[in-house]
Amino acid sequence: MTDLTSRIEDLPGDAVHAGLIAVGAALLFLASPLFVQAPSGSLVFFEVGVLFVLYAMVLVGLNLQFGHAGLVNFGPVAFFAVGGYTAAVLTAEDPFQGVGLGLPWPVGLAAGVLAAMALGVLLGVSTLRLRDDFLAIVTLAVAEIVHGSIITFRDITGGTNGLQNVPQPVAGTTDAGGNAELVSTVLVFGAFALLFYGLFRRLSASPYGRVLRAIRADEQVTETLGKRVFRYKLVVFVYGAAVAGLAGALLVFYNGAASDTFFTIDMTVIVWVGMLIGGAGSDRGVLGGLAVIMSFQLLTRFFNDSIPFVTQDQFASIRLMLIGLLLMIIIKYRPEGIWGNADRLGVDS
Amino acid sequence: MTLLDVDGLERSFGNLVAVDGTTFDVEAGEIVGLIGPNGAGKTTTFNCISGVIDSDAGTVTFDGEDVTTVPPHGLARRGLVRTFQQTRELPTMTVEENMLLPAPDHPGERAWHAVGQTGASREREQAARERAMELLETFDLETMVEEFAGNLSGGQRKLLELARALMLDPKMLLLDEPFAGVNPSLTNEIVDHIEALNDDGLTLLIIEHELETLTELVDRLVVLADGQVLATGTPAEIMDNEEVIDAYLGG
Repeated sequence: MTDLTSRIEDLPGDAVHAGLIAVGAALLFLASPLFVQAPSGSLVFFEVGVLFVLYAMVLVGLNLQFGHAGLVNFGPVAFFAVGGYTAAVLTAEDPFQGVGLGLPWPVGLAAGVLAAMALGVLLGVSTLRLRDDFLAIVTLAVAEIVHGSIITFRDITGGTNGLQNVPQPVAGTTDAGGNAELVSTVLVFGAFALLFYGLFRRLSASPYGRVLRAIRADEQVTETLGKRVFRYKLVVFVYGAAVAGLAGALLVFYNGAASDTFFTIDMTVIVWVGMLIGGAGSDRGVLGGLAVIMSFQLLTRFFNDSIPFVTQDQFASIRLMLIGLLLMIIIKYRPEGIWGNADRLGVDS
Repeated sequence: MTLLDVDGLERSFGNLVAVDGTTFDVEAGEIVGLIGPNGAGKTTTFNCISGVIDSDAGTVTFDGEDVTTVPPHGLARRGLVRTFQQTRELPTMTVEENMLLPAPDHPGERAWHAVGQTGASREREQAARERAMELLETFDLETMVEEFAGNLSGGQRKLLELARALMLDPKMLLLDEPFAGVNPSLTNEIVDHIEALNDDGLTLLIIEHELETLTELVDRLVVLADGQVLATGTPAEIMDNEEVIDAYLGG
């Protein structure tokens, strides 16, 4: 396994270059009259695919925070939600309920990122000087507060009805039908996810990442060796917030709506479980872990149809239990995750 | 020239006064030992000087500059570097990474250079790596470069911590019990390193419990008792001092 891990880590080519090319190609594809229709029956794979690339963007930031710098952020969904709702409120046109300012989507996208970063700065400045576990508790609480606020402030957010009539810039580029817009969305979002993976990978693979891993190992020693520990922690926290906010904004532009159901604790659980299964700190491994956990969810969805006497709700609970079981098995028998490095994480396996 | 000047340092924890007006100085080029019975306030004094904890009163002047409120990373960059009583290698990083981490003024530690993979970052990294290899050879650790620091023996970790501190090109080292829990042959090795560094102009302040090793090594001893300086002088003077003998024997 370690052999495979090192082979995967040493693959030639640089994800930033690949990401830039992919983004360029995807945008050209959007501008062109070309389209690809999803084969019938494959719809669900593309739907999960969109969610996968968006969660992957969040996870790339989360892995820099936890896998490298050791910051326990249990509320990535808070930044995801703030980015999504900021974008939705600014761009929705005459929503059924709530505020919609009808601004152009690039404004919403930028504002979504900035709002998530602002929340990151606020939480970081107030919490990152405290002991590690405070950050975990505060981020977990803030995620619940954000979700609760979305439901409570229904005059702004539309409450449980959500916000409709949000622009769909990617879907708007094709009217070919046959879910061509879904394929385009996966391509464009996937290209951006690759680019962000590349950027964060360069951070973690450089002397910058070395400082982060030193902070994870021993904050005080890192400080006495001349590093501004607090500043690094804050910046890394805000980077993660920014990319989560961006992913949240993209989600509402894909759906053409914002809903509180997109931004529940389930999202936090999925990305965390994906990170731990894949191996925190392994930039590629965590994405592999996310793929494992999301495939698992997708496949079990099909099983539901073939098992009698189990309702859909019951099945959803059973699936959650199975994910918990999988996590327990991993932590017991392979605490560094599938592609993680036990020495780097300081765990015995 | 006075390199480090500690004046009237005070620090309490609740009702316990750990450091109570400690005053002493260290000349450039000296090796000074800081000794005293358990609970005399040696480590707290060290922590206050190195900025790891805040002092309640008093000033610390280093190299002519008031550094009382300077945070630890600022002191490290000014050339005042400390080690810890319990060896604090970074166990989840390799020996090489432990060594490269302190390299000062590294552009690659800024996000822009890291993402841009700039030439400035690469050159600094190369220079730091050469310096690290030099030091690792001096400390007989050159074969352990790729090893995780957590897998080293206790003695190797002590040496690594010393070598790592030197990556900052310090003017002065504060060593907190460098000989604690160290076997005699390693003690001699560390003493040799300290003397060689001092010959090259490094100033050292060493906390130690065990007097024997220290008296042969240092130029001067500062004796702490109950958070105050009881006496200072050459090791010979201190050994003849009645007050010091009483403090140590609890008389």
